[in-house]
Amino acid sequence: MTMLPILEDFARACNSNARLRQMNRDWSRTIVIRTTDKGESYWLRSENGSIRSGEGPVPDVDLQVEGGEEIIRAVFSGEMSPTEPYNAGDLLVKGRQDDLMRLDIITLLIWGE
Amino acid sequence: MKQVVSVSLGSTTRDHETTVELYHQEIHVSRRGTDGDMERAMVMLRDLDNQVDAIGLGGIDRYLVVNGQRYEILDAKRLAECATITPVVDGSGVKAVWEYRVINHLIEDKIIGPHQKVLLVSALDRFGMAQAFYEQGFPTIAGDLIFSSHIDYPVTSLAELQKLARRLLPEMAKMPFTMLYPTGREQEQQSHDSTYHHYFAEADIVAGDFHFIRHHLPDHLAGKLIITNTTTEEDRRLLKDRGLSILITTTPVLAGRSFGTNVIEAAIVAATGVLPDDERWENTVLGAGLHYSITRLDSSSGIENQGEPTS
Repeated sequence: MTMLPILEDFARACNSNARLRQMNRDWSRTIVIRTTDKGESYWLRSENGSIRSGEGPVPDVDLQVEGGEEIIRAVFSGEMSPTEPYNAGDLLVKGRQDDLMRLDIITLLIWGE
Repeated sequence: MKQVVSVSLGSTTRDHETTVELYHQEIHVSRRGTDGDMERAMVMLRDLDNQVDAIGLGGIDRYLVVNGQRYEILDAKRLAECATITPVVDGSGVKAVWEYRVINHLIEDKIIGPHQKVLLVSALDRFGMAQAFYEQGFPTIAGDLIFSSHIDYPVTSLAELQKLARRLLPEMAKMPFTMLYPTGREQEQQSHDSTYHHYFAEADIVAGDFHFIRHHLPDHLAGKLIITNTTTEEDRRLLKDRGLSILITTTPVLAGRSFGTNVIEAAIVAATGVLPDDERWENTVLGAGLHYSITRLDSSSGIENQGEPTS
């Protein structure tokens, strides 16, 4: 089953959160999400405070997130915070530390507490 | 003489030692940096265990205390647990009790007032100070997301700060500390990025962690007042060169520098044997004779005044 609906829900949650829209208004980034076990590739694009999602390869990637489908699914649906799999080495993130931190903060602001 | 050592993840260039007097006792304190090297800090802590009266943990917070809720930074816990006999403290107990009161003392002493705009570069590590500013009606921006994560989102109310803390801190406390705060040589670097300088320009008072302040320091600080601590002579020269009017440190200036709260906390523990989780802690801190220090940097004399010690 494709993960696209999960990423679409994630984008929708970001876009409906006024605080996140303001935080991300100057954050233009392309994030690629790869499942290491299924070999599938998805993307999130942040621009002008809004986030879009899609499937397949994209150019000019700023942040790359890799992990098993189960973990990726759990992280982007709010069942698991990214910190735990990241610290355990089950979630590999390539890119600038600031962008990684921002992605963490976005997930926590959507699902934290 | 009792001995206190502060093991810091900060730069070795800020190492120093001196003697302080607390509760009528002379206490030798020394600060030993490890340039951000966690392993070195762990070795140092194990070596010092049972050799000194109290150990301060510098350049890292073990506890972030927000509205009575305590969040423990995992990396700091690992460090503190290297010493099993000698108490290890991080300064959060002094910050929680003392910094709230310092702001109120400064208002009572008519040094600051709620007509002034405040930029608190980091509020989650000094919630007491943030609480005092918001409660007293100062228009205050908490810049935690701006200065530690480069997310241009100013927090402007105590309620929002508390909400952010509840959502972010339980997970962020598990992150590698280097992702949250500059350590080692990184502390000495100054950013040439002026993106956030407007927050300084709009503020009358800049407060909070000095490493964040210095990292983002704009060229012009004329007419402004900074409230912070852990400043050295060199820092004072830098601030004077940038035109700062008044520097207030929440802890006393001794031997040319204001000590980190972890040093003060370790000295209090060494002198009294009272630990921060003891119910006597608040009164113990308030009875330690702490006082803020004021340095007027815009006068040619550079005259230093000090607030009255508490008793």
